[in-house]
Amino acid sequence: MHRYRFVLYRPLQFLPVLFGISVITFILVRLIPGDPARVLLGTRATPEAITRIRAQYGLDEPLLAQYFYFLRNLADGEMGRSILYKIDVLKLIATRIEPTLMLVLCSVVLSVLIAVPVAAIAARNHGRLADQVIRIVSTMGIGFPPFWLGLMLIILFSVELAILPVSGYGNTLSEKLAHLVLPSLTVSLSLSTVLARSLRAAMVEGLRSDVATAARARGMPESIVFRRHVLPNSLVPTVNLLAVNIGWLIGGTVVVETVFALPGMGQLLVRAIFSRDYMVVQGVAMVFACATVLINFLADIVTVALDPRVKL
Amino acid sequence: MIAALLKITDLTVVHDGDGGERTLLDAVSLDLAPGEVLGLVGESGSGKSLLCRSLVRLLPSSRLRISGGSITLSGRELTTAPEAEMLAVRGGEIGMIFQNPSSHLDPVMRIGDQITEGIRFHQRLDARAARAAAVDILAQVGFPNPARHYDSYPHEFSGGMRQRAMIGAALSSNPRILIADEPTTALDVTIQAQILRLLMDIRAKRGLSVILVTHDLGIVAQVCDRIAVMRQGRLVEVGEKRGLLAAPAHAYTRSLIASHPSLPEEDMPEKTGKRQAPGAVPLVDIEKLHVRFATGGLFRRGAVDAVKEVTLRVMPGETVGLVGESGSGKSTLARAVLGLTPVSSGTIRFDGADIASGRAVLARLRRQTAMVFQDPYNALNPHLTVGKMLAEVLRVQGKIETAQIPARCGELLDLVGLGRAFLDRKPRTMSGGQCQRAGIARALAVDPKLIIADECVAALDVTIQAQIVELFRELVERMSLTLIFIAHDLAIVRNLCQRVVVMHRGAIVEEGRSEEVFSRPKHAYTAALIAAVPHIDPDKPLLAPSKMATAQADGVAN
Repeated sequence: MHRYRFVLYRPLQFLPVLFGISVITFILVRLIPGDPARVLLGTRATPEAITRIRAQYGLDEPLLAQYFYFLRNLADGEMGRSILYKIDVLKLIATRIEPTLMLVLCSVVLSVLIAVPVAAIAARNHGRLADQVIRIVSTMGIGFPPFWLGLMLIILFSVELAILPVSGYGNTLSEKLAHLVLPSLTVSLSLSTVLARSLRAAMVEGLRSDVATAARARGMPESIVFRRHVLPNSLVPTVNLLAVNIGWLIGGTVVVETVFALPGMGQLLVRAIFSRDYMVVQGVAMVFACATVLINFLADIVTVALDPRVKL
Repeated sequence: MIAALLKITDLTVVHDGDGGERTLLDAVSLDLAPGEVLGLVGESGSGKSLLCRSLVRLLPSSRLRISGGSITLSGRELTTAPEAEMLAVRGGEIGMIFQNPSSHLDPVMRIGDQITEGIRFHQRLDARAARAAAVDILAQVGFPNPARHYDSYPHEFSGGMRQRAMIGAALSSNPRILIADEPTTALDVTIQAQILRLLMDIRAKRGLSVILVTHDLGIVAQVCDRIAVMRQGRLVEVGEKRGLLAAPAHAYTRSLIASHPSLPEEDMPEKTGKRQAPGAVPLVDIEKLHVRFATGGLFRRGAVDAVKEVTLRVMPGETVGLVGESGSGKSTLARAVLGLTPVSSGTIRFDGADIASGRAVLARLRRQTAMVFQDPYNALNPHLTVGKMLAEVLRVQGKIETAQIPARCGELLDLVGLGRAFLDRKPRTMSGGQCQRAGIARALAVDPKLIIADECVAALDVTIQAQIVELFRELVERMSLTLIFIAHDLAIVRNLCQRVVVMHRGAIVEEGRSEEVFSRPKHAYTAALIAAVPHIDPDKPLLAPSKMATAQADGVAN
């Protein structure tokens, strides 16, 4: 399986990428105006107290030295201590990563489950009423901002119908899933329209393609032509679009987690930014960046699996 | 007369457009006997392909519809048959293969599975039996290792092998009729000969009736029993091939036969180009040229020698034909001459100066050479009118005064035989031949010493091809032009060029005066190339021995 050999050597290329990411996040975080020590101690703190705190967290050292400590800690599996939560950033992230992961996973699954059939219906009725309706609805789906959509869903399902929880995150799996329905739906409504548009275009093209004509000329009914030839060929370009969107989605969970009060990474990031909690901002940004790299790697593997022509 | 297997009577197909109905097939009547090979010839747009699609009711657009006439298959009416019945007819009774196997085979499905698909659907075999049947078919169409190639994907094969796979898929459900729509147009001559041979073998074994659509009368003369000539949606003439080729009744058939570039033994037209004075400086002087392309990625390096050890001199005023199969390095050589491809070793001198010696030489080279491309549509900017396109070249070249540009544009169009009305036309409103003339006018606008024409007639219909070749002949005569004419069509090169250079796998295997090379080829490869050209005379048979065994040589990649 030489086509999959890149799975072994590609991670080597991640090392310089991750190094670059660490430098950039490190610098960007320090460009945020404001002094974390002052935020921590409040406006009436004495200069001595501030100096002490700054020395305690290494904030008085030169930037290069701070970066060096950061790298050394990283090698030990630590990302420094959170100023606000007083625990190691990596441990803090570990407690917050699950809701975000679950949200992204549910959203992606739900989006694909919506997008594929919707695109198929639109493509197979190309130019007819069903296609027009789907196009109008999906344009609206892209147009609505997620925070507004989330609020509307809360009002409808949680307040009026009272069948789903308003906000927060549960303890058991079923509780957690119930809490994730509305946030994932909010994300999926916009994500699935993006995917459906791309899929529909690829499918319309596929239905007109020579491959489809040849299959019809062999006497294949439309259902087989679509399922066996058009669909597999149209998935290839959509996988990369999905990967790009998941990368964007990980950053985008900030809004949805805030609206639904999900205790995830997005929420953590917002609080960390407001309190100038350098270490946390830096850690969350690193995790987000790594996730994006990883997702693109997974997308490459899926592309290779779907398209035998691709060599990486 | 045996009862017809397929009987087409007054078949009419119309296009329902915004401006009303347009008739695309006009009352076509045609019979096909069992075991017969019918050649359907005509130019692009004559309705050949549409007729074939209509037979299985797979019209290329929903705006097209069969408005009249009937198609009967063994007495069964097809124009009104329910769709479910047509599914059984398609593939099961009438199989179809197409011009471009690369686009008609599913790139993400294994070759074998594309054959099995039909077998399972039509014959209701289980997976195991279907696989066995498909492996058997792959062997029949000449796959050297069918059990292994079953699991290969289309991109792993050469064009010829892909066409074999498509034939296999079309035959999978044992149809009685095979419609072959330009099945060899995209292939090299030697591969074309193999595919035609394969089709004839299969036809003999299975008693298949074949409708062979082609624009090449040579193919028809070689493999068909009867010929039907189409033009503008009408059937102009149909008859037994010898009779029709010897005494065509219709003027259009006569012009088709006249423009077929066969390889005549005598009365060759006077060769264009001037005789050389001894001691003249060659315009292009290529010495020991190597062009090597790196392949593979960071971890697996490799290299392909696209051009190997090529030494070639082209004298001013000469017309040199560069022939060879696809992948033989013709285009790479041409690109290297124009300084468009980095050279690995060797030298190219243009008018005495080494083109690698500096930007000044390269700039001079590009002011004195021009290229004409294969695809006339894609080589022209769709947003520019012909006039603007020519004016742009003239302005950039700066060889004439700005005030004289409009007049010069008109002259250029006169030169290539396009009226001045074309100054305001855009490419999409023009035919392929007109676009190619505009492309040649653009090349002439440079006022070049050298024109390199890369397969510039390959995409054109035969009668248009003949016109463009004639145009080149005139231009070379009238202006002091040197022409390097790249083509895979030997007959055209023989008609046009003084000297011919045969390339094979990146190297020149033979060169010499056209008459000599074509009448007494020294190299076996040249001889094979010449033998593979289908002759319009049915009594000059193509490839007597079966070439099934050469399927391996045809190139199974990986």
